[in-house]
Amino acid sequence: MTDKLTRRDFLKLAGAGAAATAILTGCGPASRYVVREPYTQMPEYTYNGQSTYYATTCRECPAGCGIVVRTHQGRAIKIEGNKSHLVNLGKTCARGQAALQGLYNPDRVQEPVRQNGRGSGDYTTLTWEDAVIVVKDALADNRPGEVAFLLGLAPDHLADLAAEITAALGAPSPIRYGAYGMFEARNTLAEAAGRVLGNRSLPVFDLANADVTFSFGANFLETWLSPVAYSRGYARMRRGTAGSRGHLVQFEPRQSQTASKADEWIACIPGTEGLLALALGRLVAESRGGALPEAFLDVDVVAIAAASGADEETLRRLAALLAGAEHPLVIPGGAALGLSNGLETAEAVLALNALLGNLGKTGGVSLTPELPVHAGNRRLPNTLVELADLTEKMKAGKVKVLFIHGVNPLFEFPAALDFAAALANVPLVISFASFPDETAAQSDFIFPDHTPLESWGYQFAAPAADRPVLSGSQPVVVPFYNTRATADVLLAAVQALGGDLATAIPYKDEVEFLQQSVLGLVTENGFFNAPEINTFWAQWQQFGGWWTADAALTTPLAASALTRSLRLPEAEFEGEGEFLLHVFPSPLMGDGTGANKPWLQETPDPMTTVMWNSWVEINPKTAEELGLEDDDVVRLVSPFGEIEASVYRYPAIRPDVIAMPFGQGHSAFGRYAAGRGSSPARLLPVKINGAGDLAFSAVKVRIEKTGKIRPLARNESRLGVYGEE
Amino acid sequence: MAESKIPVFSAKWSEEEKGKWGLVVDQDLCTGCQACVTACAMENNIPFVGEEDAAYGRAMHWIRLERFWEGEYPQVKATPFQAVMCQQCGSAPCEPVCPVFASVHSQNEQLNIQVYNRCVGTRYCANNCPYVARTFNWRDYDRPEPLNNQLNPDVTVRRRGIMEKCTFCVQRIRKTEDAAKSEGRDVYDGEVEPACVQACPAEALVFGRIDDPESAVSKRMQSGRAVKLLEELGTQPRVTYLKGGD
Amino acid sequence: MLERIKKLNLLEKARELVRKPVFLIGTGLLFLLLFSAAGYGVWTTQQPPPQPIQFNHSVHVGLGVQCLYCHPGAWRQASAGLPTSGKCWGCHQQMANTKPEQQKLVEYVNSSEPIPWVPVFIQPDFVYFNHRPHIAGGVNCETCHGEISRLTVAEPIAGQNMGWCLDCHRTTAGDDEEKLIRLTDCSTCHR
Repeated sequence: MTDKLTRRDFLKLAGAGAAATAILTGCGPASRYVVREPYTQMPEYTYNGQSTYYATTCRECPAGCGIVVRTHQGRAIKIEGNKSHLVNLGKTCARGQAALQGLYNPDRVQEPVRQNGRGSGDYTTLTWEDAVIVVKDALADNRPGEVAFLLGLAPDHLADLAAEITAALGAPSPIRYGAYGMFEARNTLAEAAGRVLGNRSLPVFDLANADVTFSFGANFLETWLSPVAYSRGYARMRRGTAGSRGHLVQFEPRQSQTASKADEWIACIPGTEGLLALALGRLVAESRGGALPEAFLDVDVVAIAAASGADEETLRRLAALLAGAEHPLVIPGGAALGLSNGLETAEAVLALNALLGNLGKTGGVSLTPELPVHAGNRRLPNTLVELADLTEKMKAGKVKVLFIHGVNPLFEFPAALDFAAALANVPLVISFASFPDETAAQSDFIFPDHTPLESWGYQFAAPAADRPVLSGSQPVVVPFYNTRATADVLLAAVQALGGDLATAIPYKDEVEFLQQSVLGLVTENGFFNAPEINTFWAQWQQFGGWWTADAALTTPLAASALTRSLRLPEAEFEGEGEFLLHVFPSPLMGDGTGANKPWLQETPDPMTTVMWNSWVEINPKTAEELGLEDDDVVRLVSPFGEIEASVYRYPAIRPDVIAMPFGQGHSAFGRYAAGRGSSPARLLPVKINGAGDLAFSAVKVRIEKTGKIRPLARNESRLGVYGEE
Repeated sequence: MAESKIPVFSAKWSEEEKGKWGLVVDQDLCTGCQACVTACAMENNIPFVGEEDAAYGRAMHWIRLERFWEGEYPQVKATPFQAVMCQQCGSAPCEPVCPVFASVHSQNEQLNIQVYNRCVGTRYCANNCPYVARTFNWRDYDRPEPLNNQLNPDVTVRRRGIMEKCTFCVQRIRKTEDAAKSEGRDVYDGEVEPACVQACPAEALVFGRIDDPESAVSKRMQSGRAVKLLEELGTQPRVTYLKGGD
Repeated sequence: MLERIKKLNLLEKARELVRKPVFLIGTGLLFLLLFSAAGYGVWTTQQPPPQPIQFNHSVHVGLGVQCLYCHPGAWRQASAGLPTSGKCWGCHQQMANTKPEQQKLVEYVNSSEPIPWVPVFIQPDFVYFNHRPHIAGGVNCETCHGEISRLTVAEPIAGQNMGWCLDCHRTTAGDDEEKLIRLTDCSTCHR
């Protein structure tokens, strides 16, 4: 050994010294020289180190819940419910809580870009001035009939603006579609309400004050219409606002989270929900005596009991329960309406409500009046028929430019619709996506909108509160990246275009459009009143929206509800497989937009506790017959496509049904979403029900073993539930 | 003989200890929606661990919803969701086993406090916890830029080798107490809301002072449905569960 | 057998090596280096950090400016806060601002750039210090921050560690058992 200290040794020693320093001083110097930059001019409502709270609207789903965002030194750090907001009264769901991970998502589209070749991922950065010119030219260079807008279910203000622009331009109205509306078959419910209750809109079901509630497939505790409002209603129903603890019965082939909270779960054969409603109606009518209403005249209870899988005794018991209730309520929804006979099912259930005499009553069915804000604009999503029309036009080359906002067609729409081919046939596709989703990847330009927490806007709350609510959005933080509000981009393009269009659309920016839109509310009897728009706007921002001062629901017309004869056609299914496929939107992934938020990925699914993946639920008996164990990868084959997923043996599902959550299976959409799980959208048929909605449950699939095993990350295994092996 | 300078640590709890803060979980109302789980993660800077570690049971949930199955199809029933978090035991099994006093009892707040800067990661406390309420940072979990912008400045960001668990959102308790004191008043009932309680859409969670008989939480604890988890172990849990329906 | 002899030889050699003065000196040097490096590290934490402006506290206090005028957060919240450059300018716009340090302020104000101050009194991330109760309890700023009125640029005080905090908390509590519990509770400062 030499006495010489080599350079290598010296470095080692120096490293050790540094390490010792770090240990002995608790990492002092490194964390010491942070810099604190005070405001140059502090906003008057800000105190150093104190949080500021802004009221805005959650846009993780179209329900329109009010939220209050805690911001700290210009950063949004926590989402809390808005306590005065009448939809959610200060409460939030898991998706709302995780919305911050959208704002601060590491995979956002950070600036306006042109893609050099669709799907190439080769982007050229543009300035916003260039972007406006691109939009302007797109509007100017094409005939109005060749311009199409495809929008999501939120935000409503953008849809109203787009409707105004297309009307002035002479272009077709924007098409609004999204997985939430699709899996709730909203048009079906509204159409049934139009036929039975005389008003084509989504009814409000006063769950809170009902004492006996039957739900026909409505998964109102998960994603249906307004889950937070209905969860609150559920809790009040259980605590017995109607006098005693309310009773809940759920009819559906797979025990959903909602059904797991029900007192009884009737695992009926898919497509027989409407029959059950008719049978219950007939039994209730019989028990009351007198002439049977026309609607329930031709009902054979015994045959229905046989066809549905529920025995007659149970039906009679349930009918007695319903007949004896003070505030009975029946709710149609979910997969029951997503069948070929979905419309008739919804009609039967609504007619049953009319028979029970709860229309417009406490604990019954009511309607929400329309607000004087762009009144007459469609608030429901478009039907699949209308969407298919657009797709056909695109395929035929009749659409030259397509604007896409708030929806991810290549992920959300049934693959059988072949939207990808249609999209490829459109010469110019402009996406306003905030995230690099599948559709943005197949677009020519991405002009990223702000994320919802950086945006202005409004959203009509899904009917669930006791009055109409217009929920307001405002930016809670300065835009994090070089993004721009889509409304502002459109308005700038319109102004640049000039001429009649600019005269017809006179707004200088998004906020002016919003203020002009809500002008009609200033003179209404709101819960706050203001003499003019500026004061109104200040309070609008403070409270996070506007709603009437008093409860204001209207009573549906019951006149024709029971006099129409109701017949339920047998449900038709596509495909030859032996299992009915039951697809439900994951309560955490929602329409798929939850998948890029790591904490939603790691939040366990309520029923299976699976994290970070998708799965297929099979009855344990069926699995045993097929020789399948948990985590075995199977291939599901429908006439429209095939996917692979790991098996989860789910004890509470009909043996002839398999279920799969929707929301995973992205091929793009950022690091947390891409390449994770599989999407049942590939298996769905393009089959419509009587209301023109997608009959998404109308498909049979085959199961093939693959021999592969892919373990699912589950929270429950840690607790040893299945730990016996 | 000179008096020893080494402080004497002794358990001070007794059977009649009333506690201070308590939580009531109404399992009849809980819809299992997981809002509490996510809200807790957002408030308390809980890292996400990814699929592989989650599959190893290393997910860091401070609160989890337990669901079991009863019976067989078609008479199968999911048991009511049971939210399990640290029960803030009055006589906590995690405390005496910690060799470095990182798991200590707060005499002031009557909570079990995990002192992160003392913790050396022996995991004895987690092994001794009958509720499996503690989670361990097996790694320095990555929070890529700019996700770190949402970190709550009121809660320490833990690093690898640290044990952590539900704190009843002690940062909110302290903040509210401080605000009340600065205004010269007492904290009123319902003023402190841990993140889970605040989020819960069904209002299945109620938080408050259990030493105040008039508080909402005390009143609900009087319900005939009230039970405590593994009470027979003598842990004196501060979380009360309401089973069944009224 | 051969193996064993080899091993013994190796051991023997190692012993010889350890006995050599070179080794002893080397080891000594190593430890010296380690400790001096550590000492240097400790020392650096106790030095006032370089600041963007050599702000002179003594002049301002001498002119009668109260601590809470510029750091008003101290009496109502956790953070004492730093004044906005707008606040500095409130007084400084009325004077010539000829000195080089004053010129720096003028530049910051004119360019509307925040002044990148470096905090001097800093606690580790797991310590949640709150000014409000300390001021409310009648603790003077100087008690913890030293005689800052005599300093130009603020300097850290050595030994502001947990023992130092607790000493004061214990003294303040005195015989009041309830107060002692409150002031020495872990969750008072760590959460």
